[in-house]
Amino acid sequence: MFQQLLFAAVVSGALYALVALGLNLVYGSLRLLNIAHGDLVMIGAYTAFWSFTLLGISPVVSLATTTVLCAAFGFLVYVVLLKRQLGSPALAQRLEANSLIIFYGLSVILQNGASLAFSATSRGYQFLDGVHMFGGVSATGSMLLLLGVAAAITLGALAFLRFHVAGWSLLAVIERKDAAAVVGVNVERVQMISICAGFAIAGIAGVLVSMTQQITPFMGFPFTIAAFVVVIMGGLGNIAAGIAAGFVLGFIETFGVALTSATYRSILIYGIFVGVLLLRPQGLFGKAVQAR
Amino acid sequence: MTGKPFQIAAFLAVAGLLALVPLLGSEYWLGVAFIVAMWIALIQSWSLLSATTGYISLGHAVFYGIGAYVLVVSLDWMPVPYALALSGAAAGLLALVVGLPVLRVKGPYFVILTFGFAELVKNLVMLLETRLGQFSRMIFDAPSLEALYYAMLALAVIATALAAWTAQSRFGRGLAAIRENEVAAEAIGVPVTRLKLFAFVASAIIPGIVGGLLVLRTSYFAADQAFDPVVSFTIVTTAIVGGLGRVSGPLLGTLFLVILSELLWARFPQAYMMILGALLIVFILFVPQGLAGLVSKGLKR
Repeated sequence: MFQQLLFAAVVSGALYALVALGLNLVYGSLRLLNIAHGDLVMIGAYTAFWSFTLLGISPVVSLATTTVLCAAFGFLVYVVLLKRQLGSPALAQRLEANSLIIFYGLSVILQNGASLAFSATSRGYQFLDGVHMFGGVSATGSMLLLLGVAAAITLGALAFLRFHVAGWSLLAVIERKDAAAVVGVNVERVQMISICAGFAIAGIAGVLVSMTQQITPFMGFPFTIAAFVVVIMGGLGNIAAGIAAGFVLGFIETFGVALTSATYRSILIYGIFVGVLLLRPQGLFGKAVQAR
Repeated sequence: MTGKPFQIAAFLAVAGLLALVPLLGSEYWLGVAFIVAMWIALIQSWSLLSATTGYISLGHAVFYGIGAYVLVVSLDWMPVPYALALSGAAAGLLALVVGLPVLRVKGPYFVILTFGFAELVKNLVMLLETRLGQFSRMIFDAPSLEALYYAMLALAVIATALAAWTAQSRFGRGLAAIRENEVAAEAIGVPVTRLKLFAFVASAIIPGIVGGLLVLRTSYFAADQAFDPVVSFTIVTTAIVGGLGRVSGPLLGTLFLVILSELLWARFPQAYMMILGALLIVFILFVPQGLAGLVSKGLKR
């Protein structure tokens, strides 16, 4: 029983770490809180669902198509909504305050657009749902795939930030944008790539989610909230701590629900959310980056 | 054209016209006018905190929901007017209790905190109701729609008057100083914390009573509907579309919203929400002064 719970906590922790990684990339390099982040998870999930049920395309292939699709969407959002504003300091200052509201508008459009196009019915499909046993823990193939992909991406991101020169420029932009520009980092380019990568990671998480649970047009919102909780626990813009915080939330949620009941799930999540914002807005582990 | 006497005359004319709506004898138009007065009251109250100080609350549904809940529960014990007063008091008390810690949080953190707080309270009330074995509550023998309408209109007028008074008062200038630069305001002796808390409580009381009135109108309470985050979202959108920082903004925004919703909400709910979302983005990016700004520019020309 305990091992089974532990496994469930690791799976949901890996998923939260992955979703939050994308949110944190966008916040870190652009200082924009993307409240539509979870809706990209929804888009990824629907891409995988329709590819599988209509065309018989394996979700493993959808991982690639979703990456391209969501990155392209990120590029579009960057060029149409953000580029002009980020370019001029006066507008950028206002945009920071307004970004939440802009993304909230985008979120409402995506959710209702999906509901209009696909109907609000919840949907699901079966893929890799055979159960494997590992020393008292039963796991479906889709859960193992989820774990593998999430681990590959988060570890890959950490290695990229640690060892690759482009990762250093990203860290520099997150830490201090102006100083990064002075030492020759192409800030605009880093911001553009970050938003594409952040959106793509959310889409990938969506494909993984669609294999393990039912999907609806409004499924993104809980992911947005969970990602916010994680990112705030880790400290906004702090990539590595955000990944660790994803697992913390997975453990708290899984064991919290197991000890009480499922009706307490939302209360637990929102309780942590409000509590962390009130008591430690700089994050549990270290410090968040400066707002500007 | 935009002088103060003219403005006061225009507001009195609008209020007078709205007061005449029950004479039409049409249930439909009375219902529409009720909704118009409701949004005006909500948005003017929200503006008292958010438009003046720049602390954007994305959780005002919590005050509306608490008002609704307190009313439906207290109606078993007392007559309607007392229950409504209690609704407003409960919302104000909630704002007073959470105000100090919540208002220490700034910028985007404040926005998501208000939202998370509203959702937390919603889930707590839902849990409580489930524990009590209540999934929804009905109200029998509620007052007539006409009576409710006049009460709502009174709230809209009070909220608008309060916004107009605040705009030219010492209190309002203190709040504006907080919006422009909170640290500097504090340094020159503006009692920042007290003013923010006062604005927060003031912006909560009327939404509490509004929530109570709406429950009386629908005769039905369910926690997930009373605390619906769409209410918070609509308040912010309408305020921004109407124009922040002008007393006429919420009036114009509400007019626009109600027309749009009458045309679309019943038949195309998703399209309605998508248009609201698009309007929010377009106005924030390209028309930051809102409809009120456009109108006043037009009048000057």
